[in-house]
Amino acid sequence: MLTLGEYLRLYFIIEAQYIKARMQYRADFMISSIGMFFSSLATLGIFWVLFNSIPSLAGWSFIEMVFIYAFYMIAISPMQILFDHIWQIRFEVQQGTFLKYYFRPLNMMFYYMSEMFDIKGLTQLAAGIILLIYASVQLGIHWSPIRIGLLLITLFGAALVLISITVTAGCAAFWITNAYPVLGLAWKLREFAPYPMSIYDGAFRFAFTYILPIGFIAYYPAQVFLRPEQISPLVYLSPFVGVALFLLTYWVWTKGVNSYSGTGS
Amino acid sequence: MAGLVYRTGFIFTILGNMVYIVVSYFLWRSIYQNLTTIHGLTFNDTFIYVALGSAIFILLKTYADWGIGYEIREGMIAVYLTKPVDYEFYSLFSSLGGMLTNLAAISFPTIVLLIMVFRVSFSIGPGLFLFPFSLLIAFLISFFFDYMIGIMAFYTESIWGLSITKEIIISVLSGVLIPLQYYPLAIQKILFVLPFQAIYYSPLMMITRPNQGWETLLSMLFVQLLWAVILFTLSRVLYHQAVKVLRISGG
Repeated sequence: MLTLGEYLRLYFIIEAQYIKARMQYRADFMISSIGMFFSSLATLGIFWVLFNSIPSLAGWSFIEMVFIYAFYMIAISPMQILFDHIWQIRFEVQQGTFLKYYFRPLNMMFYYMSEMFDIKGLTQLAAGIILLIYASVQLGIHWSPIRIGLLLITLFGAALVLISITVTAGCAAFWITNAYPVLGLAWKLREFAPYPMSIYDGAFRFAFTYILPIGFIAYYPAQVFLRPEQISPLVYLSPFVGVALFLLTYWVWTKGVNSYSGTGS
Repeated sequence: MAGLVYRTGFIFTILGNMVYIVVSYFLWRSIYQNLTTIHGLTFNDTFIYVALGSAIFILLKTYADWGIGYEIREGMIAVYLTKPVDYEFYSLFSSLGGMLTNLAAISFPTIVLLIMVFRVSFSIGPGLFLFPFSLLIAFLISFFFDYMIGIMAFYTESIWGLSITKEIIISVLSGVLIPLQYYPLAIQKILFVLPFQAIYYSPLMMITRPNQGWETLLSMLFVQLLWAVILFTLSRVLYHQAVKVLRISGG
């Protein structure tokens, strides 16, 4: 077994190689980074258009929505940057190249995910941080050290929620091979995370809170900073929700890896 | 037909589309809480527009940019260059096949869902008759954009960045996510002289508001046709320029 430090060192070595390979298509890399930055701002543009016609959405003002959306952008970045390789899993499983991951003395999920480091996701993270600062200045949020600590913890939990949902969806590849539509569905669900959960009726709100807990990606944790006086205790559970879901995902991954028997080729 | 091999795929795409429609329903219901019309559109109008927008979005996503980009990067394009087929028409017809499959498997169930579950009422008018033509031209415009992005692979090899940039521009400026009436007037003026509204706004308005009168409807269709011709011409010019810089490594 390798120690955590050794894994970290290994990760940097693999990423350095990966980045060199990516730089091969330099023009595409530049356009991708710029495109990623604007793509994260596109939804915000739609919010802006919408708030031109209405004063508030389910009681939330435009600038509060910007805060929730900024939180969302930061929370989805670890998935984008560190776990992006999950999108390739259907090809690897279909073509049998996935077999190579069995033959290294490394944690398989680590080894598989380390093969891709999405640099352009960093621009999304940067856009999220800038927006979060802007919105909190506008809202007059005071950032005490405790609050910053709370922010980091809630972001960590929120990031794990999205990683868990997406990686679990990708694991479908082990059983049905073409996991792309399942991943697509998870991806689409993700886009609903920054909307106020209070717009949904009972059954849907229940589903988005307890079954496919996308409410924990942005809306619930962001309330800790926006409306600390009216949140339910449920919100403080969000970091634990993330950790618990990730453990569940890891279990599904292990099951999948063990049941995969390669393809005919 | 290749798409039918993985049948579970359709189920998840339909499911994703339905969840999107349900979420849109809640979102717009909350927006229309105390209002009967916004910018002259009722809740029913906006909901039909947005829900069908998501169904049409799947139809008009040709993925031709990814396919062409891949064939160029891997050098497979050489095979087509030696054959007496027009590469653009070849790509167009293979995309058209995918669109027809999606029409039956995804868009049709969506319309049934709208009528059965949400009980929306569609207006009847000449717009409904023009809608299929409008949709077909919208498909052509969407294809020409995708084709041109794909062709850019002759220069940049990988087209990931260009392709997502195109998708963002289209999703924000075409009115697929929100009717163009919601945009501030000054921005609307700009959006209506750009080609993107011809992809989503025009066909969606024909089905949301089919009673606008022949004159308005036909002029919308004419503008669409004009953009299709302009973009087709551009795509021919671009292809003939780009094919000169082609270099294929290995073989």
